[in-house]
Amino acid sequence: MEQSVDIKAINERIKEESSFVDLLTMEMNKVIVGQKHMIEGLLIGLLSDGHILLEGVPGLAKTLAINTLANVVDAKFSRIQFTPDLLPADLLGTMIYSQKKEEFIVKQGPIFTNFVLADEINRAPAKVQSALLEAMQERQVTIGETTYPLEEPFLVMATQNPVEQEGTYPLPEAQVDRFMLKLVLDYPKKEEEQMIIRHNLAKSFPKASTILKPEDIVRARQVVKDVYMDEKIEKYIVDITFATRYPEQYGLEKFKDMISFGASPRASISLSMAAKAYAFIKRRGYVIPEDVRAICHDVLRHRIGLSYEAEANNVTSEEIISEILNQVEVP
Amino acid sequence: MSIKKHIQQTLLLAVSLILFGFQSNSVAQNVSVSATMDSTVIFIGGQIDLKLQLSQPDGLDLPFPLLTDTITKNIEIVRLSELDTLNRENGRLLIEQNLRITSFDSGLHYVPPIVFEQAGEKINQLVQTEAMALMVINPFEEVDPQKGIMDIKKPISTPFHLSELYKYLPWVLGIILLAGIVTFIILKYMGRDIPVKIFKKEVPVIPAHERALSELDKIKQEKLWQQNRIKEYYSSVTDTLRHYMEERFEIRAMEQTTDEIMDSLKEINFRDVKSSDNLKQILMTADLVKFAKHEPLPDEHDMSMINAYFFVNQTKIEEIKSLEEEKAAMLSKENEEAVTE
Repeated sequence: MEQSVDIKAINERIKEESSFVDLLTMEMNKVIVGQKHMIEGLLIGLLSDGHILLEGVPGLAKTLAINTLANVVDAKFSRIQFTPDLLPADLLGTMIYSQKKEEFIVKQGPIFTNFVLADEINRAPAKVQSALLEAMQERQVTIGETTYPLEEPFLVMATQNPVEQEGTYPLPEAQVDRFMLKLVLDYPKKEEEQMIIRHNLAKSFPKASTILKPEDIVRARQVVKDVYMDEKIEKYIVDITFATRYPEQYGLEKFKDMISFGASPRASISLSMAAKAYAFIKRRGYVIPEDVRAICHDVLRHRIGLSYEAEANNVTSEEIISEILNQVEVP
Repeated sequence: MSIKKHIQQTLLLAVSLILFGFQSNSVAQNVSVSATMDSTVIFIGGQIDLKLQLSQPDGLDLPFPLLTDTITKNIEIVRLSELDTLNRENGRLLIEQNLRITSFDSGLHYVPPIVFEQAGEKINQLVQTEAMALMVINPFEEVDPQKGIMDIKKPISTPFHLSELYKYLPWVLGIILLAGIVTFIILKYMGRDIPVKIFKKEVPVIPAHERALSELDKIKQEKLWQQNRIKEYYSSVTDTLRHYMEERFEIRAMEQTTDEIMDSLKEINFRDVKSSDNLKQILMTADLVKFAKHEPLPDEHDMSMINAYFFVNQTKIEEIKSLEEEKAAMLSKENEEAVTE
């Protein structure tokens, strides 16, 4: 039984609440040249309350992007460089003894902020990774006997360097699954790189203005949740997720032995949330198949486990997702 | 007395000598050998049989000559058969041995008499066959060293004969029999009823536009939007059009979104520009109905159906009729008109 939804009212609300989208994008573009996909991904993560894993070589403005976002939203930002000797306490905080007060006091770690950049997350050992990922999932941190909720909005953007794999601790599949999106960054175009040079050699580096408050984001998230998703779109999302698990049922027998494990139910939830956020960005009060397809690669690429056979045949998760999208019927 | 005894002894000796002399003479006269060849002319490398025969009285043990691998330096023995006793009539034996001989030198070769040496010694007589001649012909061109080094000639292919397959026949029959038994067991005990269709009836191919138009007729007759089944109505119309586009333009319309379909159709030159606009109107209205709970006005429902018909009719492949078909169509039309008049 379908709920009665007033699409017109949702559309009106979206028009009101999404007015900041263009402004935010404009401010971000003042500082970040190119990387439109990353900015869009950040916005989707921010609006759908999901975290982002970024993969790209150093120097692609990852830190600058999240710093700028923090500036635009007037939010707190911390950058944590993950190293092999990092401890969970360095991240979450610890209890230290105050001689003045003659008691243990809590020293909160850098995670108590709005936007966290976990730089090179795969350089820290598993215990630090899992401490961060647990905080991401639970939205709270327990130090000693007290549990502290994290600030809202809370967005973690973790980076991975795809080229230097020596001495790293790759994220286990269960932990990668906690990231809503995995964005793969590429080098800027020629003209964009030329513009980057000009920006950096200019007397004053462009600065983004603050246009939003964290409460605006929290409110926008509520509107995103209200974006209407029809049953047909839900079925489409389920079909896509199932096609990653049972490709042979969707005419993709060739991938049967190439996928060691498919996307989890968390992937379906992330697809739905991200599609809603994408529709919001496009100022629509309802989700269409285009929205699902637009975010599908970013949501699924880190959730499909490839077998040795796939690696031997140079088949990537990107190719599998593209084939699935070409094979699953659009409603 | 001594004279009488001497005379008796002399007579006995004389009779004995006479008798012995007769006997050895008769043996000598009753042993004969012969050699015959199948042919006196062969191609180089060709093989013929040389038959050695010994005719002798029964009870004599006369050995055959011990031949090894050659008769002369030009004539080689390929195979020697066992001795074969052929005839035992009239107290005589005919013993035979076959020699398969060949030669790899062209020319006329002398086959010397084959001497039965040991047999001759036994009967104290020369026992040998007649001399013969064997002509060996070279059918190939003589190699002329003056012409220089030539390539090795390829093997000469011999004509195929069915008899070559005879040796495989039992195997083939065995495999067919085994396959039959296995099939029988599967069908009988595994419960698989596999119908064997040798002659499949050809299914007539219905053109894409005809199928699409009949589907649209069906949707129209079902009166879906009139029953407030608007979503179903638009889903059916768009699915029909997407199936039609898949067949007509060979695009994966069923797996594409509205924007992707419109992008795929950009490269196609429509007869009427309106076709593309009409399709866009239907797909966009359908998207709103399907995903945004949009409820179009009754006029819009009709408009979508009209546009769907228009799109199919404007983009269908025209059938090219033959002259006879055109004539037949015209005649039937004229006849119909005459009847109505």
